Amino acid sequence: MVKDTEQLYIERLSRYTTAMHNEKPDKIPIRPFVAEFTAKYAGYTCQDVTHDYQKAFAAVRKCAADFDWDAVVGNMVYVWTGLTQAIGLKYYGVPGIDVPADTGFQYREPPEEAAFMKPEEYDQLIEDPTGFLFNVWLPRVSADVSEMEQPTSYRNNLSFLKGGMAMLSYFNSFGQQNALLRSESGTVSAIAGILKAPFDILADKLRGYLGLVTDLLERPEKVLTACEALMPHLLHIALSGADPDKNVPIGFWMHRGCVPFISHEHFDKFYWPTLKPVIEEIWARGHQVLFYAEGDWNAHLKSFAELPEKSIVYHVDKADIFEVHKAIGRKFCISGGIDNALLSYGTADEVRERCKKVIDGVAGDGGYIMDASAIIQNDASIENIRAMTEFTREYGVY
Amino acid sequence: MECIDGVNRMSKQEEAKSQPGICIQWEEKLKELGEISGDKELVRKIWEDNEALAYMYIWHCLLSF
Repeated sequence: MVKDTEQLYIERLSRYTTAMHNEKPDKIPIRPFVAEFTAKYAGYTCQDVTHDYQKAFAAVRKCAADFDWDAVVGNMVYVWTGLTQAIGLKYYGVPGIDVPADTGFQYREPPEEAAFMKPEEYDQLIEDPTGFLFNVWLPRVSADVSEMEQPTSYRNNLSFLKGGMAMLSYFNSFGQQNALLRSESGTVSAIAGILKAPFDILADKLRGYLGLVTDLLERPEKVLTACEALMPHLLHIALSGADPDKNVPIGFWMHRGCVPFISHEHFDKFYWPTLKPVIEEIWARGHQVLFYAEGDWNAHLKSFAELPEKSIVYHVDKADIFEVHKAIGRKFCISGGIDNALLSYGTADEVRERCKKVIDGVAGDGGYIMDASAIIQNDASIENIRAMTEFTREYGVY
Repeated sequence: MECIDGVNRMSKQEEAKSQPGICIQWEEKLKELGEISGDKELVRKIWEDNEALAYMYIWHCLLSF
C-alpha cells in the first residue's frame, strides 16, 4: 500500500532533521541538490528551466515524485533569467541567448579593470552599503539603470518596476512550490534563506577575485572594514529568509575564500573573523547553516571546528570526506562526497561502490546526508542518480 | 529586524548610516511630513515595511542573482 504523502513527509522531515543534528535517524537521508539534472529528467532544456521558473518547479516536482528523496531544493536552478533580464543584469550568460539552449547559465566575471566596484570606492561602500548598491553598483551591472546624476530613461524606470514585481512574484511562488512538494510527493524543502560571506561578496560581485587579491596587499584595512560593514546586512538577509519553524538550514554558498585562492593568513585575518560571528548569531537565533563548501576547504577545518556543536551542516565537494569526518564529524552533520564526474561518466556499479565507501566511512553513527559532491547538472546520468538513490535506500538503514 | 550586538559592534553599525532592512530612515522621512495628526506609529510602520521591500530587492540582486 502506498503511504499517505503527509505521513511520508513527516517521516522524511524527521529523518532529515535528525541527521542534521548529527544524530542517527532510521535511514540515511537523501537530499540531492539537483539543478539542470531536473530538466534532463523531465524533458526540458536548460533554457526552459532557467527562463521559465514554473517549468523549473514542475521538473523538480517530477523528480521528487519519481525518486525516493527525502529533501530537495524547490528550484536549484535558482537564477531565474527572466528576472535578470527584466533588471537588465549584464553578468549572466543566458541559455538560448548567450550560450546554447541546453547549457546551464554562466556567471561572467568582468576583467579586473572593469570590476563593478573601483578600488578607490571602499569608503563609499563602507559608509553606506545599501546606498552604494543602489547608486553605484546597480547602474554598473544593469544595462537599463541610469547612473546617478545622469538623465533617467524609460528603460531605467521599467527595470525597477519589472524587477521588483518579478522578484516578489518569484519568491512568493516558492511557498506554493514547497506546499506542492509536500502534498504531491511528501518531499521536504531542503533549505530556506541565503547567506554568503562578506569576503566572497567582495570577490564575486564587487571587486572581482583579481581586484580583491590585489586589495589584500595594497589596502588590507579597507578590505577588512568593508567586510565588517557587510556583516549585519548579510546576517539580516539570511535571517529574513530563514525557516520560521527552524527545521531546515540557511544555505551558505562558499566560493573563493579558501586556500589556495587566498593564503592561510588572509583567511585568518579577513574571511573567518567576518563570517564566524554571523554564523554564531544565526545559531543563537535557533537556525542551522548549511556550509556548501564548493571546492576543497579542508585547510580550514580547524577554524570551522570552533563553531558551536550542531550549528552547521557541512557539505563536502572536492575535499576528502573521510578527513572531514575525522576532523569535525563529532560536532557536525556531513553531506555529499559522491563525485559528480563519477555520476556523469562512471558506471552504476562504480557509483554504488563509492556510496558504500562513503556510508561505511562517515555514516556509521548517523549525521550523514547522501548527496553528490556539487550541484547536479544535466551531465549527470539518470541511471547513476537512480543507482545512488536506490543503493542508499537499501544499504543506508540503521 | 534587530541585529544581535556582536555583529553590530564588530561592524560599527551602531554609528553607521546604513541600517539593515532600511534604505531611507524614518526620521529622514518624518522631516518631510511635518506634524502627523493621525496615528504616527502606523505611518512609521508602513513606511518601514515598504522600505524593507526595497532593501530586500537590492540585497537579493547582489546575493541571489
